[in-house]
Order: sequence, then C-alpha cells, then structure tokens
Amino acid sequence: MKRTRTTLAVAAISGLALLLGACAQGSASRSGTSSQSSPAGDTSSSSSQSSSGSSSESSPAESSGSNAPADAVTGDVTYMEFSANGGHEADLKKIVDAFEAANPGIKVTVETLPYADYFTKLQTAIAGGTAADAFELDYQHFVSYSASGALAPLANVDPSPYKKSLIDGFNMGGKQFALPESFSDVVLFYNKDLFDKAGVAPPNANWTWADENAAAKKLTDKAKGIWGDYQPISYNEFYKVLAQNGGQFFNAAKTAATFASPQGIAAAHQLIDRSGTVMPTAADGAGTPDFDTNLFKSGKLAMWHTGIWMFAALANVPFNWDIVVEPGNTNKASAMFANSVAVSATSKNAAAAQKWLEFLTSSDAMVSARLASGWELPPISDATKLGAYLDQPKPANRKAVFDALDNAVLPPTIERQQEMQDAIDNALTGAAAGHTKIEDSLPAAEKMVTSLLGG
Amino acid sequence: MTPTPASFAAARSADANDVIAVSGQGDSAQRDRHSGPEDTDRRSRGARRMRPGRRGSGWRNAGWVLVFLLPSAVPLLLFTVIPMLASIWVSLTKWNLISAPTFVAFANYRRLLTDPATLDYFLHTGAYIVGYLPLVYIGGLSLAYVLDKKLVARSFFRAAVFLPVITSWVVVALVWQWLLNPAHGVVNTVLGALGLGQPGWWTDPDWAMPSIILASAWKDLGFVMVIMLAGLQSIPGDVQEAATVDGATGWQRFRRVTWPMLSPSTFFVVVISLINGLQVFDQVFVMTGGGPQGATQVVVGQIYNLTFRYGRAGDAAALSWILFVVILAITAGQLAGQRRWVTHA
Amino acid sequence: MFRAAPHRRITLRRVLLYLALVACAAVMLFPFLWTVVTSITPEGTLANGPTLLVKDPTLNAYRTLFATLPMWRIVVNSFAIAVASVALQLVTGAMAGYAFARLSFRGRSVVFGAYLATLMVPLQVLVVPLFIEMKLLSLQDTYFSLLAPSMASALGVFLLKQAIEAVPRELDEAAVIDGASHLRIFAKVIVPLIKPSLATVAILAFMASWNSFLWPLVVIRSPELMTLPLGLSALHGQYTTAWDVVMAGSVVSIVPIAVVFVLAQRHIVAGLAHTGIK
Repeated sequence: MKRTRTTLAVAAISGLALLLGACAQGSASRSGTSSQSSPAGDTSSSSSQSSSGSSSESSPAESSGSNAPADAVTGDVTYMEFSANGGHEADLKKIVDAFEAANPGIKVTVETLPYADYFTKLQTAIAGGTAADAFELDYQHFVSYSASGALAPLANVDPSPYKKSLIDGFNMGGKQFALPESFSDVVLFYNKDLFDKAGVAPPNANWTWADENAAAKKLTDKAKGIWGDYQPISYNEFYKVLAQNGGQFFNAAKTAATFASPQGIAAAHQLIDRSGTVMPTAADGAGTPDFDTNLFKSGKLAMWHTGIWMFAALANVPFNWDIVVEPGNTNKASAMFANSVAVSATSKNAAAAQKWLEFLTSSDAMVSARLASGWELPPISDATKLGAYLDQPKPANRKAVFDALDNAVLPPTIERQQEMQDAIDNALTGAAAGHTKIEDSLPAAEKMVTSLLGG
Repeated sequence: MTPTPASFAAARSADANDVIAVSGQGDSAQRDRHSGPEDTDRRSRGARRMRPGRRGSGWRNAGWVLVFLLPSAVPLLLFTVIPMLASIWVSLTKWNLISAPTFVAFANYRRLLTDPATLDYFLHTGAYIVGYLPLVYIGGLSLAYVLDKKLVARSFFRAAVFLPVITSWVVVALVWQWLLNPAHGVVNTVLGALGLGQPGWWTDPDWAMPSIILASAWKDLGFVMVIMLAGLQSIPGDVQEAATVDGATGWQRFRRVTWPMLSPSTFFVVVISLINGLQVFDQVFVMTGGGPQGATQVVVGQIYNLTFRYGRAGDAAALSWILFVVILAITAGQLAGQRRWVTHA
Repeated sequence: MFRAAPHRRITLRRVLLYLALVACAAVMLFPFLWTVVTSITPEGTLANGPTLLVKDPTLNAYRTLFATLPMWRIVVNSFAIAVASVALQLVTGAMAGYAFARLSFRGRSVVFGAYLATLMVPLQVLVVPLFIEMKLLSLQDTYFSLLAPSMASALGVFLLKQAIEAVPRELDEAAVIDGASHLRIFAKVIVPLIKPSLATVAILAFMASWNSFLWPLVVIRSPELMTLPLGLSALHGQYTTAWDVVMAGSVVSIVPIAVVFVLAQRHIVAGLAHTGIK
C-alpha cells in the first residue's frame, strides 16, 4: 500500500513539474520567443526590431541556397494566408514562382487556410510561438495584432508603389506594421432584365436612398418570389450607411462610440426597414450560406449590395447585370475592405520575409496574376497598370469599382473588434426581426462598444 | 497457459445466463444494495477471494495497479491533466493569446459571476438537455423496440437510422436549416397544410433552441437505438415468457418487465447525454452560431467565442472552471442516484 | 409464443408498422440522399434549392474534389488515426477499468474521481495549453500529436469499469485457483465477457476521432497530415462555396463508415447485446 502511495505521489509530482514548465512557457512565450528575433527581447522597441531585421539580413548563417550575390537576403520563409483559399491557390503559386525565380536564395512555403478557421489557427500558433514568418491579416484584425506586439515593424519600406490611403492604413504611430496586399469595395449590383421588365430606370451614380427604396418597391413581386433589394443587416453595412448619412462612428478622440446619434438611428432604419417589404428576411432564409448569391443568380433579386469579389461567381448567369456606385444619402460613401500582410514579431527570417511580402504586394507579377483572375485588386498607386482590369467585358460599368474609391470608408477598428461587431450585429438583427426597437438596442450597443474601448 | 475447463465452463455459463448490458452494472448495483457500501463490499470480497495467500501482499498489488493504470494514466496526465492545470493558471490571467498574459487573480471569475449573461449560457445549456434527452431516449427506445422484432429488411432500417450518426454536423445543419426554413421549409409547409402555426424556427429567439434540439435528437437517434437494442437483446427470453404466462399484456410486459431491465442501458444514455449535453457546442456553432440575439448561446459556445473570437482566453478558462464545478456537482448527484435508480428486476 | 393475438390483426399491425418504418427511414435517409444528389448536380442548378430529380447528373464535383485535395491521403489519414485511437482507447480503457473494478488499492476512489474530472473541462479551453505543451515537446505537426489527446478516454474507462463490475467474480476466482495472474484473468476471462461494452467504446472513439476538428486544425501544419474535417472545411471559400464539391466531400466522408456499419451492424448489435438469448 505504501509503495502505491509513493508511486502515485511521484506521478503527481512529475505531472506538476511538467505543468509548471507549461505555465512558465505560457507566460514567457512572448519574451522568450521574441528574444530569438531581437536580442533586446522587447517587442515595443522599434530600434531593436529593425536591428533584428538587419541582423538577420547580414547573417547568412541561416541561408539555405547560397548561389545568390553576397548582399542578397536568403533563407526559407513560411507564409500563412487565407485569401487564396477556394479558387486562387494557383494564382498565388504563380506569384511565389515569380518571386523565387527573382530571388534564388529565398524559398517560400505557403500554408493556406479557409477564412473561417484562419484566425483560430493563427492565434494558437502565436501563443505557441510557432507563427509563420509572414502572415495575412484583414484590415479588421490588423489593429489587435499590431497593438499586441505580434507584428514586427517593417524597416525602410518604400511607400511609393502603394496607394497612399492603403499604406497609411497599416501605419501605427509612425511605424509600418504591415503592407497592403489587396483591396476590394462594395457596389450596387443590379439585374438589368428585371429593371427593364418592371419599366424602372436602372440605377446611376447619382442615386440616393430614396431612389433606391422607391425602385425596390416597384421591383418587388412577392407572388413571383422576386425581391427588389438585398443589403445584409450587419456591422459591415452599418458603418457605411452611417457614413452615407453623415454620422460618426466614434468621437474625434476615439474615447467613445457615437453611432447611436440621430443620423445613426436613421441609418439603421434604412437597413432594417426594408427587411420584409422589399428585402427578404432572416425567416426567408437571409443570412444562410450563399443565400443572397443564389437569389441573385437565379434572377429573383433586382438590386444587391455586395463586393466586387462576386464578379467571378456571376460569370455565367443567363441575364444582363451591371454595377453602379452605391446610393448615398447626405453623403456618398462606399465600403472598402483591405487585406494586408505582416512579418511575425518572432520571425527569425524577417528580412527575407519582408522581401517576399514586398514582392507579393507590389510586383508586376502580382498585378497580372490578380487582374487576370479577378482576385480582388492590387494595392498599387500606378493606375495605368490597372487598365487590363477595365478592359474585361462583364460588368460593363467596371469603372464604378474605381469611382467608389473616391468616397471609400474603411471599417472602424478597435482592439476588441469581434465583440464590437457582434454587439452591433445583434442590435441590428434583433430590431430587424422585431424583437427589439432600434431606438433601444442601438444606444445599448453604443454603450457597450464604448466600454470595449477601455480595453 | 490455456484456461482450464473449469474456468471455461464458468465463462460459458455466464455467457448464457448473465445479463451483461452495455453499461451492465446491474449486478454490482444490486449487490451493493444488499450488502452495504460498495467499497467495504468489494474490499472484503477482494481480500477473501481475489488474493489467495500466495500473493496477498500490498506490494504485489501496487505493482498490478501500476501495470493496469499506467497505460491510461500517462496519456491522460500528459495530454489532459497538464493542460487542465495550465488552464487554471490561464483563468487567473488576462490573455488574448497574441501578447503576454498578465496576472489578474480572480478578476475573471468575479466578472463572470456577476454578469447576468453567464447564467443565460447555463440556462440555455440546461434547456438543451431538458429538450434533447427525453426526445432522443423515447425515440431511440421505440425504434429499438420495433427493430428488435423479426422484420423484413430489418438491417436496412437499422442502417438508415444509424446513417445520421455518422454524417458530419456541417451537412446536418444545412439540411435542417432548409427543412426548418420558416418561409418555405418542408416542416412549415406541412404545418401550414394542417392548419397549425408556423414558427420561425432557428430565426426566432424562442424557437431556435427547439430547432437545435430537433436536429440533435434526429442525429443521435441511431446511437441511442443501438444502445437500447443491445439492452433489449440481453434480456433473457424466459423472463418475458414468464410474464406472458402470467397474463401480462404487451404494454404491461414492457412497463413492468422489459423497461426496468433496460435500466443499465438507460443509465448509460443519461450519463452520456449529460456529459455531451453540458458541453454541447458543434450543433449550436453550425446551426445558429449562438443566435439569434444570443438566444442559443451555450456555455461551451461562449468559451469558444471568448478564446478564439474575443481574445479573452482568461475569461474562457474561468468560465470552463465554473462549468467544471457545475458538471462535478451533477455527476456526483448522478452517481449517488445510480444505486437507487438502476434496478435489475 | 409472443403471438397471443389473432393472426389477421398482427398482419394489419405489421402493415402499419412497415408504413411507419418506411416513413421513418425516409426521414433519416433524406439528408443523405440530398447530399448525394447535390454532389452530382451541375453547379448552375444548385441555386434553385434542393431537387431530387437531377437533369444532367455529373461527376465533376468529385473530379474537382480529388483535384483540389489529396483526398486519398486524407481519407487514409483519418482512418488510420481513428483506428489507432480506437485500439488505444480499448486497451487503456479496459485495463484501467479492470484496475478500478477488480484491484483494491488506497485512494482508488480519488484516482477514479480524477479520471472522471478529465471529462469535465471542455476541449475548447484545453486546446491552447495542449498546443503549447506539444510545441515544448517538439511534437506539433506529427501523427502522434493528432492522436495524443485521444489515446485514453475517461469515458471509456468509466464504461468498461461498469462492465467489468458486472462480470461475476466467481469467474475470476476460478482462474485464480488455476494460478492465473491478473493479466491472464484480464485477457482470458474479463475481455471476452465485456465485448459489448468494448464495441460501444469503439464506436464512440471512432466517431470522436473521425469528426475531430479543432485539435487537428491547431496542431497540424503539413498538408500530408490533413484529416477529413479539415479537408471539408477547406472547401468553403470566404465569400462563396461550391456546394456540389462540399457535398461530394461529405459523401466521401460518409460512405466508408456507412459501408462498415452496414456490413458490421449485425455484429455490432449482436456484440453489444452479447448472447442474452440462446
């Protein structure tokens, strides 16, 4: 009996020892792993970070292929991303091949994950200290990652190839934490045939909410299952209609949310009041996977607020369709979404990783791969290179994609982004379904978002 | 080397006469009732019979305990207990996974225990179990009862009922969202034709949880059926015969003889449904994502959100340990109730 | 001897019974049929909701599936890990069950309580610490890491302990008199008598491994180690999803186990039921 107890005690103690090891790792992972890349081990110090970048640049010890010129950056770079998933894997491969051909000392290994799983994996990898050298972030996630010290500031970035508003969007406190990789915007898609049949003039760039709502009413034919309009009732639409109505999401100092202002309430009404009259409701299936895509593709939706990423999906529909800049109200505003790429704060190969990212975001190989496959838009400043995009046949009014950029608004971002988005989504959908009044739920969401700003 | 004829004979006789159900603890439960507390009973029996003189020392026994326990204890210790203990530590920190954790002592627990939403997560979880368990149990038992009879194409029917068990939740969720579509789903079409109300199902906060329960029960029916089928088949025929001779009707026979003899299987279904039900996640995640307006957010759903969507791993760990205490209390109650409840008529 | 009622009534009841069963089977089979049908429906017609009549059936979705993902590798991975997990859980679970049911030792109920406690913390919260631990042991992104959390299951231990307790001790004693060791009693007396519970644990372990998603997602990096749920998830795009391909993937993931079940269901049920009626 005594022996049993001793054995159990030994087992318990060894278990505990292992646990302490794991805990210590948990707490030390940041400083421990970051010290691998910067001797100072301080992620908030930019000088140590950039010196780490240059130190690995000058240390060929880690290089694998050494045919490159002496001053060339070499090494293996791992790159994790989501945007190529589901159809653009080969396009990304083309860019990688072009990069490796131009930089024989660097080998890029790509790991692609579906968007839905991407951030679960990325966070765990960072927590475990196994993050890829470089990874992709959408604009909404960028703030929390850069504020948490997960990103290495990029040294000596030449901003000239990039569209200024985009590269500035990934600059925090004077440090460039990421490079813009691609962008896309939201426009109003419309089914020309349905407009013709109903005898309604098709939308144009001067439309306002009133024009849109009136047309939607005429186009809706519930007996035939035809809906006039569809605009998702969500955060990503709300911040934009708020801007279209002249509202501000935050106060100037960004210490409080202000989106439940009278302009905000009216903007929310514009979203939710159409639900059930000219716009399918959640009970009709709105919000289920690909619901709106299928509705538009089957010719039963006249107007559709969605992103230019849908062009490819509509390539073979048997009706005429086109796009136009979204209607505004007191202001014009179009939603813009951007993806970015960053170097991990723990990368041992930061210089090579940055070199790859610069190629990925600004090279001509990238521009042609993206334009040829309609894979969002390159973030470059030189508009002449985008000509190929405008030359493609459908939709006819491709110019609207660039016109929309004149009044583009990026989504508001905070560190606790997802909680903010969920709060606003719930306030909007609850009111749309009639469970709450927007006059109650939006101010409640505003209060909650203000509390999230505290961290 | 080979077992003696005596042990074989004994084994064979047990084969024929003993009821060994899936969770066939009936025998021991009965023994416990008759001969007092479990441990005394077993130890005295063990002392008397299991360890004949030639190897009665505790030393020897400790060796055997290690031999039999280590294969499971080592992996459980390494890959479950250590992460569990680590999560206690995480629960005392503020940690978004991507920057260093900071120690906050019990602040997470305090926040969760004073947040009324926490109670909602537990209530939603409870509502799920209360709705799911009777449905899946009665459904599974009925199917097992019917499919235990000699029927043409019985194997086909059994396989059909089992198919949803092996279908992934992603597919099941899609199908049920479509079946329960409030506007033009099959279910509401039928209800409408019958002149009944047409609920908003998963789009309506009041009906979203019933929708999840329906889909879950449908999916797990086959598993419960297999368990109950096994229980039914392990009831000796002569017991049924005796009841028939006594003049019991079909229902009486079922109520008084068959069902009580199924109590080990019933106990098993309840245990596993509670363990899985208290940690229900997959079906909620794919069917409603916790909505609409949080009406179906369950405890583990919130734990997932806190960890991977909200960057609040400390809160998630604290909520897990609150859940741990709740499960512990329920399990203790269950094990205490088992002795009284499981019969072996 | 159960047929006390007149023959004709039985027949009528049978007809009704069959009608009910067929309806029930239809309800159970419908989603699977829908999955199959969607997987062979040309992409364009998917927009119109599910139909059970396919105009131009095609296997394109399967071609796309096998071209996009290393499906054979993925299925073999999933199968190998599920089988290994089943085997390990049966061995570790039955042995621990034997220890708790048949060996008396100090602190047994405490140790058993500790086993049960491992069931009470959700995996979702263990994933991150476990991943950090795997990293420390340099085991991340290996077959072993996929298997690690499912080598032993306290639920299996619990079930098998219950089953072993139901085996009459007289049988062990007979073996003890013959001079058999615990290992021999376990292997020759106990294991043959708890086959039904072993079958249950096997089903549970197989399904858990086959559908496991979060842990493989986190711990696996190499495409060669990908499992089915990860593969199926990768078929969903950020904005649009090719449902025919997703459904083809589902069919591929369901069919192997369905076949195993159909072939083995008699044995599974019979094994579960043991040999109650002779």
